[in-house]
Amino acid sequence: MTWLNPKRVLIVLAAFLLAAPAIAQDTPVKGGTAIVVLGSDPEHLNPGISTSYPVGAVGVNVFSGLVRLAADGRPEGDLAASWTVSSDNLVYTFTLREANFHDGTPVTSADVVYSMIEVEAPNHGRFKTAYDKIASIEAPDAATVVITLKEPFAPLLSLLTVFDAAVLPKHVYENTDALTNPANNAPIGSGPFKFANWVRGERVEIVRNDDYFLEPALLDKVIFRIVPQDVARSTALEVGEADLLWGFYMPPADLPRLEADPNINTWTGITIPALYFVFINNNTPGLDDARVRQAIMYAIDRDQIVEQAQGGLGQAGSGPFGAGFAYAYDEATDYRTLYPYDPTKAKELLADAGVTDLKLRYVYDSARGAFAAAGDIMRDQLRQVGIDLVLQPAERAVMVDRVYKGDYDLSMQSFTSGGDPAIGYHRIYHSAEAGTPFVNATGYANPDVDAWLAEAGGLADQDARATYYRQIDEVIAADVPVMVMFDELASEASSAGLRGMRTLLDQRDGLEFLWFAKP
Amino acid sequence: MAAEGGGNGLAVYALRRAVNAIPLILGVVVVNFVLIALAPGDPVTSLIGEYPAPPEYVERVRRDFGLDRSLPERLGLYLVNVAKGDLGFSFANRQPVLDLLLQRLGRTLVLMLSTVVVATGVGLLLGVLSARKPGSLTDRGATGFALLGYAVPEFWLGQLLILVFAVSLGWLPAGGFRSVRVDYTGFAAVLDTMKHMILPMAALSFRYMAITTRLTRASLLEVMSAQYIVAARGRGLSENAVLWRHALRAAALPVVTVIGYNFAFIVAGSALVETVFGWPGIGRLMYDSIYTRDYPVLLGILLFVSVTVIIVNLITDALYAVLDPRVRY
Repeated sequence: MTWLNPKRVLIVLAAFLLAAPAIAQDTPVKGGTAIVVLGSDPEHLNPGISTSYPVGAVGVNVFSGLVRLAADGRPEGDLAASWTVSSDNLVYTFTLREANFHDGTPVTSADVVYSMIEVEAPNHGRFKTAYDKIASIEAPDAATVVITLKEPFAPLLSLLTVFDAAVLPKHVYENTDALTNPANNAPIGSGPFKFANWVRGERVEIVRNDDYFLEPALLDKVIFRIVPQDVARSTALEVGEADLLWGFYMPPADLPRLEADPNINTWTGITIPALYFVFINNNTPGLDDARVRQAIMYAIDRDQIVEQAQGGLGQAGSGPFGAGFAYAYDEATDYRTLYPYDPTKAKELLADAGVTDLKLRYVYDSARGAFAAAGDIMRDQLRQVGIDLVLQPAERAVMVDRVYKGDYDLSMQSFTSGGDPAIGYHRIYHSAEAGTPFVNATGYANPDVDAWLAEAGGLADQDARATYYRQIDEVIAADVPVMVMFDELASEASSAGLRGMRTLLDQRDGLEFLWFAKP
Repeated sequence: MAAEGGGNGLAVYALRRAVNAIPLILGVVVVNFVLIALAPGDPVTSLIGEYPAPPEYVERVRRDFGLDRSLPERLGLYLVNVAKGDLGFSFANRQPVLDLLLQRLGRTLVLMLSTVVVATGVGLLLGVLSARKPGSLTDRGATGFALLGYAVPEFWLGQLLILVFAVSLGWLPAGGFRSVRVDYTGFAAVLDTMKHMILPMAALSFRYMAITTRLTRASLLEVMSAQYIVAARGRGLSENAVLWRHALRAAALPVVTVIGYNFAFIVAGSALVETVFGWPGIGRLMYDSIYTRDYPVLLGILLFVSVTVIIVNLITDALYAVLDPRVRY
């Protein structure tokens, strides 16, 4: 599947962007209610204290951040009208727009500082990553926010969006426990939609904010409808009980059916890059030898896994940071040429290493159909090179417990990049936080790799970052601490009348651009 | 079942049963608490979300929800709180458990009660029809139908019903508790909810319909050969009168027993059916809280279920007295 190389994907993306004006030619109209499918009830509606998907889905449309990410991944102003960065890359100065919260109170720099320091730094897993690099957040006047870094940190801006640093109303949260404040269930933000109603287990309703500081939304109302069963989600769309199904909740097996339906539009592509890979426990006897890990790379047909386990919604792994970031990709170490499917080579390497009768446990989240299907294929293919794979499905909470305590041999995972390799992918290879959930669980620790990752994460200049990523790519390609499986392609489906999709990177964002074409 | 006679015999009996139920419920709570605490998986992981969090943050969340204390300490605290009517605070929903349960209770009860009524009613009817002429076409049809009910899993039947009646035929909604697009009020809203209830109710009641059919048939066939039935026939009563007035009353006793017994299984079945149909009731809440390791909610639901089962069994026993003149409390 060489046609799906990163350049091709970019071309397809560009073609799509060029096609966008053509779609936009029928003029957007105001009005209507869109029903968006959520797979589970949000825990609450405060994106400032949680990284959970459904919380974000609703929350980011009610709140605003300082900046937002445009479709090309570049930050643009949200509450911030503009910003400047000092020449040493340490001081970011933001100038705020005039904006109001939904209760009529103006948004000021005090709200920004309060939200970040008092609520998000202690309670938001991802913002904490940014906050560790921040020396101070200050508000010299009501319309200015100054963030000073301890050291240069490239992904700062992408961590100041509403997903990671929502601006909460200080007057509502001050002197209360942010985790139990009643406003978490009836949020007051400054975003394009206002919270209207929440029937737990059934739906959340948000309505247009006519006082929005940017172009107001077109839809009158958005209803998030909770459909827990994946099969029922595509059905809801087919029978007209829903208008929009995001990739996160899309059952891949149903995609061909939805594509064939004339009343439904579908779309497939890379949104925020996400990587599917298999942790290889480098501490397991046998797997501590790099030759054995390389043998596993040769023994698995990753294209087949993409086709059969992922319904084709993927692009076979090209390197440790996938194909989503051009500057972190190196053609010289592309796994598709470096590690083609080659069982004979795998057997040679295993013989070299003197490994026989290897029996490995494959631990995976039983709720992830793709992980189970990949396990079946891997078991067959590993058997051909003399490795016995035992499938051990576990409920998610159990899987997390086992894998991150090292009680596994192989384990499939999917990590989101969060918009920057430094945010989402460095943790797969860095040894610093080993033992905590959702970081490197392989036991692989290479001081060089750790140091280069730190450098690459501090630089704003992409060419300079690329130099470090090339070095890392080369070492990782030989060490193979994990087996990179594929880059995720997302798809979404909507009722044919719904327009204005995907003006931004994250599917959950940008509901204010949606509108219904008159039939 | 002491023959005390008098009108308040039943009341005394009910009171004694209620007092006896207290250690039972206590046992249920303790066993559930320990089992859930021993199950692998950490609620804090699902609380924080899929992203690495600093250890001091994880520790704080653990402390906030009292998960840093020892198991006996947590159990003791929980029992004291339950005695005070406080079922705890949901980790995942950040709401008191009691509030959550009460929000969902009505919807689940509506679904379960109508399931019990439909399953029992249809089951009795089919049972009588097939017992009337054993070996007839009706009998074989009803027995075959019942066999199918035993064999078909609820969640699969639910999905099949959705495919046929919602997707292909478009007669009924595919899921949910009421229409999302239109806001009905008054009687129209009741009608709307009833329309949404037909498929989940059908999926949930099939198995119990089958059990009731088989049981009614077997029990009727046994009763029909009893001497008093022969006597009734001898007095010249019509076959219908014998069947409906004399035989069925005696044959219904085991059926009533099974209603009480089945109730617990209907609660379990509702967890699956409510999930398939997106019905926002207690069963769904149970499914969600298992997934997020939301212990307080899970314990609250299990407590609710055990209390309900005890009450339903009490009602069943009381019904014996009504149905069977030989039974006195």
